[in-house]
Amino acid sequence: MLQTSLEFLKREFFKYYYENIDRLVPPEPIRNREFGFFLEKGKGMFRHKCFNSLRDFHEFILSEIPLDIYVSAANYEDPGNRDMSEKKLVNAELFFDIDVEPVNAVSDEEAAWICQKCGQYDIGLKERCPSCGSPTELVRLLSEKQLREALGETEKLIHVLIEDLGIAPDNTHVFYSGNRGYHVHINQEDFLNITGEGRREIIDYLLIQGLDEKELLNILRRGVSIENISLKGVKKRVYMRILEKAGSVEKLKASRRETVLKMLEDVVEELKVRIDPVVTIDVHRLMRMPESINSNSGMVKRRIRLEDLSSFKPLEEAIAFGDEEACLKVKIAPKFSLGGRTFGPFKDEEVELPVYAAIYIICKGLGEYAGG
Amino acid sequence: MTSENVLRAARYPFLPEAREFISRNIDLTLESLEKTGSEAALKRAVERVENALIFKEVKVTVLDELNYVREILSFPIAVILVSMTMNEYVRRMYALGESRGAYRRMLNESDETLLYIGEKMGVEGVLDDESMIRVKIPTYLKLAYSFHAPHWKLVNRAVSNGYVLMGRNEYARLVQVEINNYVYEKTLEPVPMGAAPDSFRRAVGKIVEVWSKLEAAKPSHISLRERGDTPPCIDRIIKKMENGENASHFERLVVATFMIARNRSIDEIIEFFSKQPDYKYSVTKYQVEHLAGLRGGGKKYSVPSCRTMLTNGLCYPDEYCKGIKHPLRYGEENAANKPRVS
Ligand code: SF4
Ligand SMILES: [Zn+2]
Repeated sequence: MLQTSLEFLKREFFKYYYENIDRLVPPEPIRNREFGFFLEKGKGMFRHKCFNSLRDFHEFILSEIPLDIYVSAANYEDPGNRDMSEKKLVNAELFFDIDVEPVNAVSDEEAAWICQKCGQYDIGLKERCPSCGSPTELVRLLSEKQLREALGETEKLIHVLIEDLGIAPDNTHVFYSGNRGYHVHINQEDFLNITGEGRREIIDYLLIQGLDEKELLNILRRGVSIENISLKGVKKRVYMRILEKAGSVEKLKASRRETVLKMLEDVVEELKVRIDPVVTIDVHRLMRMPESINSNSGMVKRRIRLEDLSSFKPLEEAIAFGDEEACLKVKIAPKFSLGGRTFGPFKDEEVELPVYAAIYIICKGLGEYAGG
Repeated sequence: MTSENVLRAARYPFLPEAREFISRNIDLTLESLEKTGSEAALKRAVERVENALIFKEVKVTVLDELNYVREILSFPIAVILVSMTMNEYVRRMYALGESRGAYRRMLNESDETLLYIGEKMGVEGVLDDESMIRVKIPTYLKLAYSFHAPHWKLVNRAVSNGYVLMGRNEYARLVQVEINNYVYEKTLEPVPMGAAPDSFRRAVGKIVEVWSKLEAAKPSHISLRERGDTPPCIDRIIKKMENGENASHFERLVVATFMIARNRSIDEIIEFFSKQPDYKYSVTKYQVEHLAGLRGGGKKYSVPSCRTMLTNGLCYPDEYCKGIKHPLRYGEENAANKPRVS
């Protein structure tokens, strides 16, 4: 990123934080949390930072204009200590991260590639570079389809958390991460003290790992109807779905063992919630600060009310910046949608874009600022 | 206190009401203990610890119960004696023995009493209409992870609305774990040595003698070893295997899961196992991959808890084991300090 781009970014970030600073409210008590910041591109994280009050925190943000802001999932006695074990963990929120792999572009226009070997790039879908033949790198911008999929997983997660694990909806905080996925923070008293091993169990529950298939297979093959067994939890969900797919208990009973086993595998694959286990197991994790800007996209980690979840439109509702025009030198960008509009494709051109779209392209490393 | 309650306190002397009984009726200071005719209690206390070391279970007979003053008093004395040994193995074994004995006795109790004991130990259970016991998920997770069998995994449980459902026996098992934790933590409280009467010191001497006679407890606690990343229990198996000695199936499972947890590659682990007398490449490969969750349902096996290690006679604690519940917690402070963000 060129210096001019960075300055442009910092200017716009400042405007955002100046206007929205009241939305940045870390969980109480603030002085028990560790904070971390990326203050400059390519530099390491500035962490082990702690604040005594919300005001100090806000002042820091407005004076430093960080590119990214993080807060620990954990409460510590001494969050500012540089030695992790000396911080003295008190407890930690349960934290879930759902990212979905980028999906492939549907049309040529929506794809672009770059060859890292010889430096060529162009619009279109090419797996190999036409001039040197080496594998290309596809330019992946956020796609509605991909985010839709992640949202579906998030809804699944919330369902299990509330129905099975008994998390109160009021303690369930859902966010669009500002880039490729969603975050769910659980701030429920009795779940704060769950140890690493306990978190591992919750992860296995969500990913349906270590399921005792034998018992389930027995029930399925004996053709027991749901009224006659008292299944609960994962097993019940798996059982019901298989029954639904098979059509009836009789049909299930008549199926070959391998068929049922295959069905079982498919259903587990379908029902498991694709959380990132590494994130949840780690009590010392730093989470992106709600309502802060994600510098990987220039969008906001946006809070979503549970009742609005299914209709949430990340590419419209998580925009941080205005729509004044800014001039941008774009290297390469496939066609993309943002803020309810469609842009591109662009290649080696200077274009006028609304600030939010300009920043998006800069954050994705595909263009540089060329004046306002 | 009704006589029934007193008998219950004698049967489960770690319950709060047993403490209450003592504080109301007996002057329990180290100085006065000797005088209050507690010789019998002291004797019984030594017996409790010996029971735990030798039979892995503290037995309480009906006669013991009827002798309730002695019985109730013998528990805090036993805790003091164990603490005075300053021996990690004795601490752990004693806690296990007390909790096992209590488990067995709990199985004979009414639902009501069982739930009462559980509640007093902080393992609240609610009886539902199908005579299943419901336990809150966080409580369940805190206790159940120390069991290794797959049916204890949350994913295999009847889970609903924040609760895990279970039968009486399983509930009693959870309570047992909490009793174990409680007793163990009690034995960690230091006792001012100077204040202890001679009779106590002699009793401690007796316990240590029993301990040293027991084959299972090679005095690993004496060697002030440098704390490495590998807990002594696992270090011991590794050394044994490196010498080409045959390790049991469970010992191999422990070492393999430990190495997997420490991110050693499958090849490295197989290489390590190749020193075993009955080594076969394909079999070992299959087993290790299975444990790593690369085969058969993707279930990754975890390293057994300290509790499981102890019950299998594989716990050889040193001073750095104090207070930990899982071998992977050993050397935890060495964990990397680098930021992980989402
Ligand atoms: S780590 Fe646990 S099992 Fe191993 S020796 Fe220490 S206390 Fe015993
Ligand atoms: Zn090329």
